[in-house]
Amino acid sequence: MNSETLLNVENLRVVFNTRNGQTVAVENLSFSLHAGKVLGIVGESGSGKSVACYSLLGLIPTPPGKIESGSALFRGRDLLQMDERELQQVRGNKIAMIFQDPMTCLNPYMRISDQLIEVLLQHKKVDKKGARAKAIASLVEVGISDAEKRINEYPHQFSGGMRQRVMIAMALLAEPEILIADEPTTALDVTVQAQILALIKNLQKSHNLAVIFITHDLGVALQMADDVLVMEKGRLVEKGGAETIFTSPSEPYTKKLLSAVLTTAKPVPSAVSETESPLLEIKQLRVGYASQAGGIFNRTTTFARGVDEVSISVYPGEILGIVGESGSGKSTLGRSVIRLVHAQSGEILFNGNNLLALSLGDMNPVRRDIQMIFQDPYASLNPRMTVFDTLAEPLLFHGVATRDNVLDRVNELMDDVGLDRQFIRKYPHEFSGGQRQRIAIARAIALKPKLIIADEPVSALDVTIRAQILALLLELTQKHNLTMLFISHDMSVVRYLCDRVVVMQKGKLVEEGNTEELFSSPKQEYTQQLLAAIPKL
Amino acid sequence: MSNITHTSNIANVEKGRSLTQDAVARLRKNRMAMIGFYFLLGLVVIAILTPWIAPYSYEEQNLALGASAPSAQHWLGTDILGRDQLTRIMYGSRISLMVGFIATAVALTIGVLWGAIAGFVGGRTDAFMMRTVDALYALPFTIFIILLTVVFGSSMLLLFLAIGAVEWLTMARIVRGQVLTIKRQEFVEAAVSMGLSPWRIISRHLIPNVLGPVIVYTTLTIPSVILLESFLSFLGLGIQPPASSWGSLISNGVETMEEYPWLLFFPGLVLTITLFSLNFLGDGLRDALDPRASKD
Repeated sequence: MNSETLLNVENLRVVFNTRNGQTVAVENLSFSLHAGKVLGIVGESGSGKSVACYSLLGLIPTPPGKIESGSALFRGRDLLQMDERELQQVRGNKIAMIFQDPMTCLNPYMRISDQLIEVLLQHKKVDKKGARAKAIASLVEVGISDAEKRINEYPHQFSGGMRQRVMIAMALLAEPEILIADEPTTALDVTVQAQILALIKNLQKSHNLAVIFITHDLGVALQMADDVLVMEKGRLVEKGGAETIFTSPSEPYTKKLLSAVLTTAKPVPSAVSETESPLLEIKQLRVGYASQAGGIFNRTTTFARGVDEVSISVYPGEILGIVGESGSGKSTLGRSVIRLVHAQSGEILFNGNNLLALSLGDMNPVRRDIQMIFQDPYASLNPRMTVFDTLAEPLLFHGVATRDNVLDRVNELMDDVGLDRQFIRKYPHEFSGGQRQRIAIARAIALKPKLIIADEPVSALDVTIRAQILALLLELTQKHNLTMLFISHDMSVVRYLCDRVVVMQKGKLVEEGNTEELFSSPKQEYTQQLLAAIPKL
Repeated sequence: MSNITHTSNIANVEKGRSLTQDAVARLRKNRMAMIGFYFLLGLVVIAILTPWIAPYSYEEQNLALGASAPSAQHWLGTDILGRDQLTRIMYGSRISLMVGFIATAVALTIGVLWGAIAGFVGGRTDAFMMRTVDALYALPFTIFIILLTVVFGSSMLLLFLAIGAVEWLTMARIVRGQVLTIKRQEFVEAAVSMGLSPWRIISRHLIPNVLGPVIVYTTLTIPSVILLESFLSFLGLGIQPPASSWGSLISNGVETMEEYPWLLFFPGLVLTITLFSLNFLGDGLRDALDPRASKD
């Protein structure tokens, strides 16, 4: 039974014809999927892992996409030769998919019940009443409590994790033989991710499904898959059993991916002296978001708590990690320090000055000393300014450099962040994500600030790039004796980089401690949950 | 780690090019935009030189000739009063282009600044500024113009003012909407966190990024302003006969289009080609000013 081959893909080649010529998205890919097994496809963005699976179901836009050659035998029939009508019979019925972002995959204007029943009516011979009963049963199966009632709700009434459960229920409704999961947990919080992964694994066993699990995260792949394909730039790099790939990878790229998974503690602890007075002291900070409800006459204003009575001290030279899931208020905390968001009460003492008491005009000189690195390197650089202009602007504006020596300073910054000096006249869109983040880092250190607030600076990057950027941050903090507030949802990243860690949940401070202590003996239950959710290698 | 090939030589890179130089280089590669540009340039040169090169006088009547079809003497024919059509179109282009460009420039300046400030500052300032715009929108245009004429009499300056006062409102709304979306982007927050002044953030980070829609809207505004001028002239504001503008030539031409179609056709043709040229040039400029649009 287990050896039965469900899907056999051979020599798949997919290209995209663009104005700038042809790009090969998938080159000579061959693999087979066995009944009841999980096949993990691992790769970084642009590796062709998603394109390969989408093209099997005719889901890539053609043109510009084109399946040049190959075959994909599913139950003796070639998926690539099927016309649109035949494919419709396969899609969702025999081969179902779940996607990365559960918000955009559910129609926000349709009730969950209608969306689920639609699938059943399309593929199965059932009446509406039977379909509804089946839909409810499937929601119960994926762990949605009170399914009878919740099935009548709209997608926005579900949380991200719950929506992904609905998507899984929907995918399983038609009792498919193959489930393709495209990064199903990437958009989710870590603790939720662990739950969803466990759910998929259970369902895979109970339904005896064959699963293609696409992910960029080697840890997740190891946890889920029996066999693993590693892809890079459209090519298959290595394939084999999950255990073998992880214990004894043969290809250098696989080794590089593996080494990028951070399991290590901070290599060199920062020189922190806690006897000094703290550089930044946050006292009883409260930040809220006003939301208004009701009509014109009975309008009520409520404050959703972003940050609730949090006190933190950051000492010169240390890297303090702030960890939490989305909605924990960690970003709001970071932004309120440079007053990008307005704080209701509390004190933010920077070098003894209360920043919250300053007028916005008096705030501007202080901003020099506190710089920020943002999450999305695509959004944090002005697309109409060259790298030179971006880096020169703060230098010239604050009079740190003059027109004569600004070029030298910019060149030094480029050296600092490991970018070629030649690139200074290029625009941001000409760089890759990792390079852009280097530019953003260069901008942040340009004014030689005392404190850097880094808000998820590596979460938008590929794993191998992530490791490089983290190493760069570590090097720069030591070289320039920087103090950093490092905001992240990723426990392993925090462990690699931070001296001390603060755990936040729903706007409150849950636990605080030295990194190694906190990782080895977490006291609070929430911290333990977070730690348990890290995929183990 | 770099996946960008080192094709450009260092000397070239060190010298560097500004955004304007880049834009000009990109614009030159756009054939349609360049055709539009040269047509407009030619038009402006002709308009400036008109008093010296016009074949006839724009006001000299020849009632005996009447409305004559295009001929060797009068290439584009003559109007009912026997005035040379080509000459009148040439003189008309002086008025029309001046109104089109100056009034649009007025609208552009006020509208972009107003919208950018309202959008960036936000809060009460935004509410106040945009309600002002709404109030001006609600004012009936015709009554507004008649009021102006009664108070100040009729002059060209007033014409620019009146048109500018109306056209900037839409521009302000467009710019504010764009600024609101761009303001949320991290590069603007980064600029704030670098301690840059609000004025610098608006001028360096916001306005360059709203140029696309602004340019497109501008190229649509110029022709509509040119037509608006004929309406105002009809109301007695702006130019008076025997002086001519494209707008007035077209509206006169419409009255007699069945007997003397060339009186409508030629001014209409000139206006249409101008409109196309502006659109092509506008599209070209929008692409040229966006560094992401092309790779070179």
